[in-house]
Amino acid sequence: MLINLTLNGTLRTLDVPDHTLLVNVIRDHCGLTGTHVGCDTSQCGCCTVHLDGRAVKSCSVLAAQADGGQVLTIEGLGQAGLHPMQEAFSRCHGLQCGFCTPGMIMASVDLLRELPQPTREQIEEGLEGNLCRCTGYVNIVEAVHEAAQLMRGSQA
Amino acid sequence: MSAVLSPQPLLRKEDQRLITGTGQFTSDTWEQGTLHAAVVRTDHAHARFRADWSKVRQAPGVRAVLTAQDVAAAGFSGLVNSATVEGPLGQPQVVCRMPVLADSKVLYVGQPMAMVIADTAELAANAAELAEIDYETLPCVVTFEDATAAGAIQLHEAAAGNTSVVFENGDRAAVDAAFARAAMTSNVKVVSQRLIPAPMEPRAVQAWHDAATGLTHVRTPTQGLLSMLGMFTAITGWAADSIRVHTQDVGGSFGLRGTATSEHVLLMLAARTLNQPVRWIGSRSETFLSDWHGRALTLHGHIALDAQGRILAIRFDNQVDAGAFNVYFSTHIGARNLAVTMGGVYKVPALHMRSHIFFTNTVPVSAYRGAGRPDLAYAIERLVDHAAHEHGLDPVALRRLNFIAPADFPYTTANGTVYDDGQFERVMDCALADSDSAGVDQRRERARSRGRLFGRGLAYYLESSGSGAAAKDQVRGRIEGGGLTLHAISGASGQGHETSFAHIVERELSLPSQRIRFVAGEVGRDLVGNSTGGSRTLYGLGSAIVNLCSQFMEHGRPQMAQRWGCLPEQVLIKGGRWLHASDVSLHMSFQAWLDQAGAEGVELIGQASSGATFPNGCHVAEVEIDPQTGVCDLVGYWAADDMGEVISPKQLVGQVHGGVVQGLGQAFGEHAVYDRETGQLLSGSFMDYFMPRAGILHSFHHHSVPVPTKLNILGAKGVGESGCSGSLPALANAVIDALRPLGVTQADMPFSPARLWDLIHSGRH
Repeated sequence: MLINLTLNGTLRTLDVPDHTLLVNVIRDHCGLTGTHVGCDTSQCGCCTVHLDGRAVKSCSVLAAQADGGQVLTIEGLGQAGLHPMQEAFSRCHGLQCGFCTPGMIMASVDLLRELPQPTREQIEEGLEGNLCRCTGYVNIVEAVHEAAQLMRGSQA
Repeated sequence: MSAVLSPQPLLRKEDQRLITGTGQFTSDTWEQGTLHAAVVRTDHAHARFRADWSKVRQAPGVRAVLTAQDVAAAGFSGLVNSATVEGPLGQPQVVCRMPVLADSKVLYVGQPMAMVIADTAELAANAAELAEIDYETLPCVVTFEDATAAGAIQLHEAAAGNTSVVFENGDRAAVDAAFARAAMTSNVKVVSQRLIPAPMEPRAVQAWHDAATGLTHVRTPTQGLLSMLGMFTAITGWAADSIRVHTQDVGGSFGLRGTATSEHVLLMLAARTLNQPVRWIGSRSETFLSDWHGRALTLHGHIALDAQGRILAIRFDNQVDAGAFNVYFSTHIGARNLAVTMGGVYKVPALHMRSHIFFTNTVPVSAYRGAGRPDLAYAIERLVDHAAHEHGLDPVALRRLNFIAPADFPYTTANGTVYDDGQFERVMDCALADSDSAGVDQRRERARSRGRLFGRGLAYYLESSGSGAAAKDQVRGRIEGGGLTLHAISGASGQGHETSFAHIVERELSLPSQRIRFVAGEVGRDLVGNSTGGSRTLYGLGSAIVNLCSQFMEHGRPQMAQRWGCLPEQVLIKGGRWLHASDVSLHMSFQAWLDQAGAEGVELIGQASSGATFPNGCHVAEVEIDPQTGVCDLVGYWAADDMGEVISPKQLVGQVHGGVVQGLGQAFGEHAVYDRETGQLLSGSFMDYFMPRAGILHSFHHHSVPVPTKLNILGAKGVGESGCSGSLPALANAVIDALRPLGVTQADMPFSPARLWDLIHSGRH
């Protein structure tokens, strides 16, 4: 089937089998490999991207469901310079191996869209759908907290 | 939402690519015309079989089906077992190597039987479903008791009683004598349950063959290029110089990425045979059944004390589940790693251990973060705590009485390990002060008033970090493009070496880290280096880098002498500068030298030999358990660690966080559970296998108490695995402390709500 989607601001038209998942469109058809696949039960969140401004696990979305939609991946997030969330993850040492990081950052950006000033408990709860094996999450929570402060500051 | 550019630099050199999605993990790149592989795995735990692959071969898009016959025709041997030991009377170990593909018998659910190669991953997977396999099922064993019971079904013809070896270490007679005269004795049995390592990047392999050069290339996540190459050559029989191993970013390893697996060598064979690139990307469910599992140890510790509480002897009786075959590291775990620090941080005059390494119908077991050492720390520190409570002694005072004192170093343990240095009492006092030990009763009372059970646990771990398999670590330094490029073999899997090694050079040569580049990988065949394992790369390769820095300064000495018209001995070296011994106006920095035209292209090799180090620390955990639900909250965690010289403080604490939380995962929920009757893995995905999630550790305090070691040039000790060694016993001691008023004196991990509720309501009180 033919799919039209806007991927990181660029309109793409793709001819893919009906059962193609969004993550496969992003990685295999469009070559954007920053979005990772870490499981096959939609538990790990490594494949998190934004569809029409909301975080989704792209392994659990059919490409057909994204037809006509706006998809933002980690590659698109920092097109105009690093996003505050990307900077905060680095500065707070919220990543080690970096495999979960793109999904973690995309989930965190959406978390702050919903809760611009989250408590630590809200951050912990908001990231329950993203697994990390390296950091113990301590610095990830710190990074989201710091990004929230940075972004609040930049809006003031 | 507007993106804001910040003037502040990123913390690590690795971060720019990893936070922008431009990292290069194995599955992120592929060659043109790549074929795809799927593995046919058995769903039986123990069975004989006959397979008909004809329908698979005829399926659409299939290019090849590799079976045990193809592996035999290629002359491949079984997978590599890296360590063997003997029994106490010189009895040889029965080593049962895993075949690349099962021939006529399978021994665990998930064991590979064939590889299907097709035009797409989907066609390969669909074709794999068409295999016609007739099974004659056999009884299976998944526990020590079942495997070693009289009349138990035998997995391997050569392994009577499903025993690989019974290994002993230490002095049995001295320990027996000590127990005979002891005033007090205690014993506790600790189960360090089977775990799934689960790094976030699933295992993946790509292979391609260059007919023109005769080289077969393999790209895969690994923690050791040379060890991987050695295993590939051992299995395939191919010449080492006909194989190239490539790795870029590695999505976590934790001990798992050190070995060649069936998928690696099958893809190499397919690439060479078909002369086309082939890839296999493991699904998570598949890696649960095919990545080596971790832990799977039971340690039964016994301690003998004199009337004053001085330790007279410690004895361990261990059950070491190897899984279905001896792969890579399991013997090393059960033998060396359970023996090397058997007495922990205590003066113990007599030590003895016995490890029974046995086979079960389960995924083979290999290294997982610490590979036996965290399990041993867990057992020792449970044993000491248990003995203190059993005999009415204060656990802290008992530890204090028995610590090896600073004046005792170097200290040789009763079974021959030499500890170089340590300040255990000082480190413990830091942890006690940080964790407000004086306020414990108040916190316990406050929790009680809220209807909750409060527990506090303390543990003092000591690790022996990896000594390395290669005799030395080497690094090549080359001045190029106005900077210093470092090349070495040992690669990272999240440890941030590109950053830490730049920090070391910056410290030694006062060269800004922006001008330093570290590249790991196969850079010619002339360098020697170790795998990244046993927490040793920072100090192993880092020491070679310190040596490289001094070589660069020595290299410049005659040039300065010539320039200044003096003797080389009159040129002093200090802080990345050459100074004239008497004329203060004559000096030059390494940075200024590097900017000169003549420096470009200068190349030197630094090297160092670094053995094991002894990182140690005191961890304290406080928990509150809700008796209504069994839910256990970790309300406070304090770690005081002696990691020796610290290079990158933030990365060090990050390693501790990760290690502690892998321990918490084991403490609170991780458990690879097999069904005893069918041998099926019941926790086979992230849907049923507990993984630590955000919030598992929200109150964490770290205190670094560095006691630099003289065992390597850098003075640093291994960090990566220590967190687990601290958190396992600290958590266990805390949970049992909380349950002690109910009469509970021992409980096994995982401390899931169900298990704790059961203990609380089991009618013991």
